[in-house]
Amino acid sequence: MNEMTMPGRQIGRSLPRLEARDKVTGRTEYVHNLRLPGMLYGKIFRSTVAHGRIRNIDVTAARAHAGVAHVITGEDVRKVIPRPFYGPAFHDQPVLALDKVHYVGEPVAVVLASDPYVADEAVQLISAEYDELPAVFDEVEAMSSQAVVHDELKPAGTFPDLKHLQGRRNTNVALDFHLRRGDVDKAFATADRVFEHTFRTQQVLHLPLEPFVSVAEPTGSGITIHTASQSPSFVRIEIARLLGWPENRVRVKVPYLGGGFGAKLYIKLEAMVTALALLVQRPVKVALTMEEQFYTLTKHASTFRIKSAVNKDGRITARHCEVWWNGGAYADIGPRITQKSGFTAPGPYDIDNVSIDSYSLYTNLPPAGALRGFGIPQLVWAYESHADMIARELALDPVEFRRRNILREGRPQATGTLMRDAAIEAVLERLAERLDWNKSFDRGSGTVRRGRGLGIGFKASISPTTSIAIVNVAADGSATLYCSTVDMGQGSDTANAQVVAEVLDVAAESVRIVHPDTDVTPYDMATLGSRSMFHMGNAVRLAAQDAKAKLAALAAELGLPPGSNIPLPELFRRKYGMQAGNVIGIGSYVPTYESPNHDTGQTSNATPYWMIGGTAVEIEVDTETGHVRIIRIINVVDAGKPINPKIVEDQISGAAVMQLGFTMQEKMLFEGGQVTNASLADYKIPSILDIPPMISEAVDAQQHDGPFGAKGVGESGTFALSPAIANAIEDAVGVRVTELPITAEAVYRALRTAANDPLEDA
Amino acid sequence: MKPPRFDYARPDSLAGAIALLAAHNGDAKVIAGGQSLMPMLNFRLTSPRLLVDIARIADLNHISAGADGVRLGALVRWRDIERHPTLAKLHPLLVEATSHVAHYQIRNRGTVGGSLAHADPAAEMPGIAIACDAQIIVVGRAGQRTIPAADFFVGALMTALEPDEVIVEVRLPPWPGERHFAFEEFSRRKGDFALAGVAVFYDLDGQGRVIDPHIGAIGVTSRPVRLNAAEAALAGRAVDEAAILAVAALADDGLDVAEDIHAPADYRRALLQVLLERALRRAARLPDAEQTQ
Ligand SMILES: Cc1cc2nc3c(=O)[nH]c(=O)nc-3n(C[C@H](O)[C@H](O)[C@H](O)COP(=O)(O)OP(=O)(O)OC[C@H]3O[C@@H](n4cnc5c(N)ncnc54)[C@H](O)[C@@H]3O)c2cc1C
Repeated sequence: MNEMTMPGRQIGRSLPRLEARDKVTGRTEYVHNLRLPGMLYGKIFRSTVAHGRIRNIDVTAARAHAGVAHVITGEDVRKVIPRPFYGPAFHDQPVLALDKVHYVGEPVAVVLASDPYVADEAVQLISAEYDELPAVFDEVEAMSSQAVVHDELKPAGTFPDLKHLQGRRNTNVALDFHLRRGDVDKAFATADRVFEHTFRTQQVLHLPLEPFVSVAEPTGSGITIHTASQSPSFVRIEIARLLGWPENRVRVKVPYLGGGFGAKLYIKLEAMVTALALLVQRPVKVALTMEEQFYTLTKHASTFRIKSAVNKDGRITARHCEVWWNGGAYADIGPRITQKSGFTAPGPYDIDNVSIDSYSLYTNLPPAGALRGFGIPQLVWAYESHADMIARELALDPVEFRRRNILREGRPQATGTLMRDAAIEAVLERLAERLDWNKSFDRGSGTVRRGRGLGIGFKASISPTTSIAIVNVAADGSATLYCSTVDMGQGSDTANAQVVAEVLDVAAESVRIVHPDTDVTPYDMATLGSRSMFHMGNAVRLAAQDAKAKLAALAAELGLPPGSNIPLPELFRRKYGMQAGNVIGIGSYVPTYESPNHDTGQTSNATPYWMIGGTAVEIEVDTETGHVRIIRIINVVDAGKPINPKIVEDQISGAAVMQLGFTMQEKMLFEGGQVTNASLADYKIPSILDIPPMISEAVDAQQHDGPFGAKGVGESGTFALSPAIANAIEDAVGVRVTELPITAEAVYRALRTAANDPLEDA
Repeated sequence: MKPPRFDYARPDSLAGAIALLAAHNGDAKVIAGGQSLMPMLNFRLTSPRLLVDIARIADLNHISAGADGVRLGALVRWRDIERHPTLAKLHPLLVEATSHVAHYQIRNRGTVGGSLAHADPAAEMPGIAIACDAQIIVVGRAGQRTIPAADFFVGALMTALEPDEVIVEVRLPPWPGERHFAFEEFSRRKGDFALAGVAVFYDLDGQGRVIDPHIGAIGVTSRPVRLNAAEAALAGRAVDEAAILAVAALADDGLDVAEDIHAPADYRRALLQVLLERALRRAARLPDAEQTQ
């Protein structure tokens, strides 16, 4: 045990989280706890209609309410931000509604008061009148509906592949992505068998236990934003753009987050608090309630029609994928999901002829964006359910069917990019082994039937993105890392400390991490898409190596022999005559990338690395209630070489539990666009009692260009859980569920329908 | 959210509590364990001016058993029932039903009186009160009254309590040792309110025929109910598999089954039927469903 704390063995150590003690003893900083002198609290008045033109907003009573400092509407915002529209892909989202509202829950006005409860009371006194417009909620209907969510498309211009959409009218399609490879038509025409199925996923949300919160503080020369954000650098750039200021007048500080899961990316409340603080020249805090999270960001509901040509011996010869993503009222990062995840829609299979049409749609629902998996779980749900359905039809063993088609190392993926360091096969084989797939299995009897199933999925990393890190070695030899990766519970501080420690040959516990502060820590694209371990990990490694090289140069300058192990304090003392000075190492990392061809989606370099995740389950179905009991879950991923195996295991199991909620019970319910279960009382996430026995492990693998062989793992546990469960249910009771969530009611209904005795009402 | 502003009083006596309630004329509420009231306040579904905490009032947390049955004081908590040394013998149905209520944290605080007064259509205690023909003892300005459970539950979250009345006790009729019984429920997650639940008990005559069957259901209508048609079908029969299926088929007979966001009516009806089958089988100590597939 003790030698583990010795330097030189930092990689592969299951070091406990560096911040764990502070967190459990209540010492950790969160934005929710921040109070600034003179600070006002903002409470939001929200739209009650799904789509409408604002006729009038009456704030007189709210303004007159005792204790209210200000009431702000969209028109007021223009005084400090003339064009107050933001978003990572489209500049479509106003700080507060202007002219139109696009979903129920959209922010329309804000009350400011020094007591948040007074502000809350005053919000109840605001009323608004709208001329209601036809609304569209379903992603497939949105393709052709008369209801058009936005009068005109406003792509951000940062992405070349969105330029052609500039100024388009009369459409809800925010992005259409197409991929063409081989001759799909011919392959279908000559196929032995053709299978087509449609799968749907529901709208759900992230629900971090720390709801969204941001504070803005005018500083005279600029503005400081304290925010629970996963992307401080993006916030700085986007706020600077909105204000027409240079980046260096905007300071963004992020302490720890109480969960993010993709919700707290890009801009959420930051533009709002900035506008409010500048308008009233006081610090302003907006902290959402749990309920308000339901009106802020969600996960795309989706429809996926998948069609495969298969020959007699179970080889897939062609696949056509049509995916419709329900983006809600604002595009957020949806167009990226449509493309970057869209191109993996055919699954981890070696298919010569592939076509993909993937559409990002606007609808009048709360906006959808990134959520742990970035669209991949929706795709895997379809292609891995489809895989089992085909295998069943062909009377092939589902594992064997996958073996015949699996995308092996060195083979081209649908984009033409060759698979490299992608342990798909190893993941599949490990799942089968862990499941004892070849052994007989107790299938239950009577009203309790047992089944098992599995699935495998893969994901590309969003690219090209940049990370920069600074390692500062002080005169006593202690090291501090400055980086803008946000630790929201995933353990990045600990893993990054291990990387620094490995290079500098110190104990990871001794490395200090400076949290994101854009005045202090360098640029990082964002903490998203499982990119940090690879991108920031590489930057941190380079920064530490740079520092080490500079220390060696310093030693050489002082005439020391190469490789001399003079203690660092002594080195600094010799240089500066006392304990003084420091050595600063800088690391900057951006992988290579080649944009896909606009018409064919082909590229030789789609992603810097691949993430692989598979899940196998054993389940039990109560045929009289539809209740599905999960006997055990096995998650296997390719995470490269884990820097911290325990954190890797926690990331896998945490992701799987989150996906378990999305699979078995979670669903946002709507009535005319209004969420009807916007509370943790009615929206059921898994509790500790709902978590089945679980094994989570990484196969022996190596990412050749990852830091010490590592790559990202934050999402891989989400990929294949849903289809594994649906496949196991069919194995147990012979019914196929094609829509999430798989509630007991859904299974029971399917059983009754299969028995030719459908439940009557629905 | 946080609750609206309210005042708080913790009287030492029942008379003091009643006086406060009466003085506020419907604008005050009793608080016991707070496990239903606090969420209601936080969601701002109710906004009384005064909360009258009854925790300090003596003698409201007794559990006693005698020839006339089991008496539970209003402040008896789920945990008290669960841990009681003899209740499992004296009233096994009560103990079994209570084990389905919520999670540990809530069971440590939630009370029998609070559950009856709150009258959630899916709550276990009101279901037991209905199934067992319990008497609910309440005290108000006008004195004490005894309300039969059948008259107590008026609708979802509605009871026959007057604004100035406090529940002090619930009385369950005596429970013979040889009685056949079972409780079954189905909920979405562990500890959630039931989508449907059934309590069954009966005695047997010398020929093994059912005497005086009681079947209560929760979660299916706006208040806990007795399944009259099923009870009538069960009375006088020997309980075999055929009887069970016949009785269970009548589970929802005459019921106006409710739907909410957690489940539609047709599914609740189906659950009710299968839960009744299971409860009857367990009560009769018959094996689980046979190979039906
Ligand atoms: C997450 C969660 C899950 C739950 N699941 C279940 C479940 O599965 N089954 C279940 O049965 N319950 C469940 N409950 C409710 C729980 O059992 C409550 O504790 C119980 O219903 C109310 O008891 P209480 O003492 O907390 O009442 P309080 O919350 O204090 O009061 C509830 C209501 O009763 C009134 N009241 C209380 N005592 C008296 C009295 N003596 N006389 C007159 N009026 C009175 C109050 O004014 C108030 O209107 C759940 C609660 C939560 C939060």
